Amino acid sequence: MKLRIPRALGMAAVAATVLATTACGGILGGGGEKTADSGPIKVAAVIPLSGSSAPTGAFMKNGMQMAVDEINAKGGVLGRQLQLDAEDEACDPTQAAAAANKAVSNGAVISVGGYCSGATLPTLPIFQKANIPMIIPAANSQDLVNQKLPNVFLINGTGAQQSAAAVKFMVKDGVKSVALVDDNTSYSKDIATETKKDLEADGNVKVALATSVTAGESDYSSVVHDIMGANPDMLYWTGYYQEGGLIINQLKAAGYTGKIMVADGSVDASLIKIAGGSNAEGVLATMTQTPDTIKGAESWIADYTKKFGSAPGPYSTQSYDAVRLAAEAITKAGSTDGTKVIAALEAIDGFELFSGPLKFTPEHTLSSGGFQILVVQDGKFVLKDALS
Amino acid sequence: MTQLIWNGLFVGSFYALVALGYSMVYGIIKLLNFAHGDIYMLGAFIGFAMLTSVGVIPASLSITALLIVLLLVMISTGAIGVAIERVAYRPLRNSPRLAVLITAVGASFTLEYGVAAMAGPNPRVFPVRLEGQTFDVLGARISAPQIVLMVVAIILMLGLNSYVQRTSMGRAMRAIALDPKGSLLMGINVNKVITWTFFIGSALAGAAGVMAGAYYGKIDFLMGFIIGLKAFTAAVIGGIGNIKGAMLGGLLLGLLEAFGSQWLGGQWRDVFTFAVLILFLTLKPTGLLGERVTERV
Repeated sequence: MKLRIPRALGMAAVAATVLATTACGGILGGGGEKTADSGPIKVAAVIPLSGSSAPTGAFMKNGMQMAVDEINAKGGVLGRQLQLDAEDEACDPTQAAAAANKAVSNGAVISVGGYCSGATLPTLPIFQKANIPMIIPAANSQDLVNQKLPNVFLINGTGAQQSAAAVKFMVKDGVKSVALVDDNTSYSKDIATETKKDLEADGNVKVALATSVTAGESDYSSVVHDIMGANPDMLYWTGYYQEGGLIINQLKAAGYTGKIMVADGSVDASLIKIAGGSNAEGVLATMTQTPDTIKGAESWIADYTKKFGSAPGPYSTQSYDAVRLAAEAITKAGSTDGTKVIAALEAIDGFELFSGPLKFTPEHTLSSGGFQILVVQDGKFVLKDALS
Repeated sequence: MTQLIWNGLFVGSFYALVALGYSMVYGIIKLLNFAHGDIYMLGAFIGFAMLTSVGVIPASLSITALLIVLLLVMISTGAIGVAIERVAYRPLRNSPRLAVLITAVGASFTLEYGVAAMAGPNPRVFPVRLEGQTFDVLGARISAPQIVLMVVAIILMLGLNSYVQRTSMGRAMRAIALDPKGSLLMGINVNKVITWTFFIGSALAGAAGVMAGAYYGKIDFLMGFIIGLKAFTAAVIGGIGNIKGAMLGGLLLGLLEAFGSQWLGGQWRDVFTFAVLILFLTLKPTGLLGERVTERV
């Protein structure tokens, strides 16, 4: 008897587990079938709505909402309305995983989110497991591509493409030595390493210093000291705008006269405010197209401003494009089934995005990078060189 | 080299100001007040609110405005420190030390996310920015705002030191630190003295917050976390509970960081700082100026 009870318990446990999993599968599958036939098509967007990157998250959400509304006004997709499900990831990997799980259980059939690469990474396997295709509008670390997941598509240039653009500009601009500073996050480190690799391969520009700082501090005097010591022609900062602003401010206070270039994570009006005064004037940036730098986007900007009461910002256009692309893929696939939508995305050729006609590479990245150089002029980022 | 020393001393004076509050509170009621770093953050945000409510301040008046705001912020954060003590610590004063430590962490989170909920999670840009010319002293670049802030910090620290050494309240503080029960029996109003301790410590942290906001220009709701840990480290290095030790510890920690990150690279700065903390706690837990407490029979 003594033996039987545990065995019975064990069998009960196994039975319970089997029941639970099948029941779960049943619920999830059933739910999926149901949403696949009727009701709105749920589009998940795991983006930063709070935290340090919240301003960009808001621009992305607005861009997505705009596309959703336009598509719905034209009758939706496959005769059904689109519904945007924006979940907050706060640029934090833990919260991002929770947000992705929530989006999946809400019945999402496609994902159009992804801004902070470090936070986007853990969401990839979650969406992959649920066979949900992801169109990532902003996050662009090489790490995302290196996962080689079939459901992941990037419609923003990758870190490697950004580095290539940076190097191209440095050579063109006659820079002789450069200091590379990152903030130790996946996104930032990726660009710094790729740039270093490209510079060494190119041989024209010397890497005078390559170092990292800890994000979230106020005092960057030690890195400023290192940069002053290395005395480069140009500093390339690959982190986000908060630290970027502080470093620019403290560098200028220390008497730095060389050039400063920042990566796309720092392209934000706050960078100029934090740097203070005229310190940010003349700061260069590698950036994908923003609404301000795209020719022919004037009417789009007007629509956006009218709808949301403020001008669009970084990644509004990419987010808008991500939703349009999602709708296009679902229409082409004739179904919301993940596998069919992925096949449709892979087959897309010449779909017009803001950054030009789209065709994915075998790695599911853009075949043309679309990075350009901006410069701060009169307190605003304006186009300096389209690098085309 | 001189630049490194100056950088270290400048950052160290911020650590010292915050470390003083840690050390005073620990010295008197043996509590590690984890909410102390968040009082620093609160000081920056209250200063921000005051300055933005005034509107645009002409550059010529910015130093005067800043000093007035500094004073007002010190009074407000002092009062908030007292309120935290009354609500979160006093009811637990006779409970095990662990219970008070946990409420301290709770108080810290309450302040952080309370500010995040009210002011928003995005970093804010401080309305008044200290700017001025730079001087070349022995090969180091020293800017006028840095000198102003250093002078304010030194005045605050010296003021506190003479207050504790010369006044009857200061004497009462030292007495309680030595023997709380005995002081009570000698007729000292222990609650009142503890209240004052929290007021002064929190006022100094608030002042440091405003100064950091005006100098660095960026404030956010988590800015108190790291500096709280650094100030704790500074207090431990100097000898926790010892006021001169907190000042010395702050300046030393600033120097250690400056030289450590020069030697190992910027990304190792915090690793280095907290490794020093661990070393001190294992090898010399009383710190540089702390004395070994002997049990009297």
